[in-house]
Amino acid sequence: MINKFFALTTLLICSILFCKAQDNGDDLIGIWEPSSGKARVKIEKIGNKYYGKIVWLKEPLDPVNKQPKVDKNNPDESMRTVPLKGYRLLKDFEFKSKALWEDGTIYDPENGSTYNCTIKMKDKNTLDIRGYIGVSALGRTDVWKRLEIAKQEIKSN
Amino acid sequence: MKFTALILLLLICFTASAQITDSTTLIPEEEENYDNLSFADGNAKRFCTSKIFDLSPQKLISIGYDFQGGYAINSDTIGTYAPTTVRTNYSQGLRLMANIPVISRNNIIVQLGANYLEQRYQIDNTPTDNLLSTNLSRNGLRSTGLNTTIFKPLNERNFIIAQASADLNGDYGFNTIPSLRLLRYSGAAIFGWKTGDRRMFGVGLSRTYRVGEMNYIPIILWNWTSLNRKWGTEVLFPARAHVRRTINSRNMFFVGYELEGNSYKINSRNTLPSDFDNLEIRRSELRFRAMYEFSLYQFIWLSVQTGFRYNYGFNVDDVSGGNEFFRGFFGNQPYAMINTIGNTFYALVSINVVSP
Repeated sequence: MINKFFALTTLLICSILFCKAQDNGDDLIGIWEPSSGKARVKIEKIGNKYYGKIVWLKEPLDPVNKQPKVDKNNPDESMRTVPLKGYRLLKDFEFKSKALWEDGTIYDPENGSTYNCTIKMKDKNTLDIRGYIGVSALGRTDVWKRLEIAKQEIKSN
Repeated sequence: MKFTALILLLLICFTASAQITDSTTLIPEEEENYDNLSFADGNAKRFCTSKIFDLSPQKLISIGYDFQGGYAINSDTIGTYAPTTVRTNYSQGLRLMANIPVISRNNIIVQLGANYLEQRYQIDNTPTDNLLSTNLSRNGLRSTGLNTTIFKPLNERNFIIAQASADLNGDYGFNTIPSLRLLRYSGAAIFGWKTGDRRMFGVGLSRTYRVGEMNYIPIILWNWTSLNRKWGTEVLFPARAHVRRTINSRNMFFVGYELEGNSYKINSRNTLPSDFDNLEIRRSELRFRAMYEFSLYQFIWLSVQTGFRYNYGFNVDDVSGGNEFFRGFFGNQPYAMINTIGNTFYALVSINVVSP
């Protein structure tokens, strides 16, 4: 009887701890790939907010001048020489509830525009990133997938 | 003993839960190599997207005003009415459009849209024996429709685009909306290839009223951007084709054409004799144009276009009971009334909310 009690209590405590771990804004941290596959974005936590920067570009060099791509579409002229690799395009996201981060912005280097943005985690490897203009209906959702070190790499290590 | 076991178990659970969080931990900076990463979800697939570099932004909401300069309308005989010619001083009208993505996922994008277009004719001294021009002058022409566009990528290279629309066209007013059985349906399907971030193309078939009457026409998609990203093409032949000069991502200049048309039920308001009850104007025009689109403020874009409007068709068919028929390019069914419209310059200005 006592054994059963201990087992049940342990199971309960473990479940609570497990749920608590799941209900954690830090689940967002990692490397993600937008649907276009043109870039990879590393999301990290700074203070209580989450930020994402470009860490990889499918086409890292400008095909004309063979130099690293820069943020040439930025409306702020002083930013147009900043390299895209390393550029922070997700800013100021706050964890609101289970699997939802809000109050952030996303920057689109293709046109130099910044949009309001919410992030929903559909499952631990999938994000719905919705950029919108004022109201959520006027927007577009992009699905980002989590990346990890290729399994072959892990084995060889 | 039991207490020790419990503590051990708890420690194991703590470690396990910490590992769940750690699975998302960043790769240490000094070991970062982002080339050799794969999807954490082994079943995930990559799909091609619907865009290439520098494609003009999609308009979510558009409010426009269209103006055409003066031209003559030559009307052939119909019934007991003699041929006549009238002069239109100008024609003009509002153009409202909305196009909202309702499903936006990597493996499918579904958009729903609505549009309202009107054409009002300003004709002085309308002769009483020219009932067509009398009616155009009094009522104008309207088109109200719903549409949907689906982009379905099959893999990283191939995609399908399907488009369907239903339009109610005619000289109706808002208190005399004609029967929905007069809806005119159009559709298109394209199979395409995306060969990189600078080119996508496709071939398909459309059921369209752009040539005025219902027709089946092959279509070609060709979107391309040059290596230096200054030039490009945006082609959906035969509906439209443009060469694009990208000044920057917020300023674009286009030269090309658009083919516009539809079939318009006339006498919706019963203002003409009953001879006109089953008639539809097969209106089609080619607009050769130069177009400048630019961002006024962030997502608000202004589009200004001007050019030459060439009349392709303005004949009238007798469509008894609203039952459509197929003439195609080679059919010999006679028109109920043959009209010739003069060509003229036109201008169209629209303000748009564009998609992220």
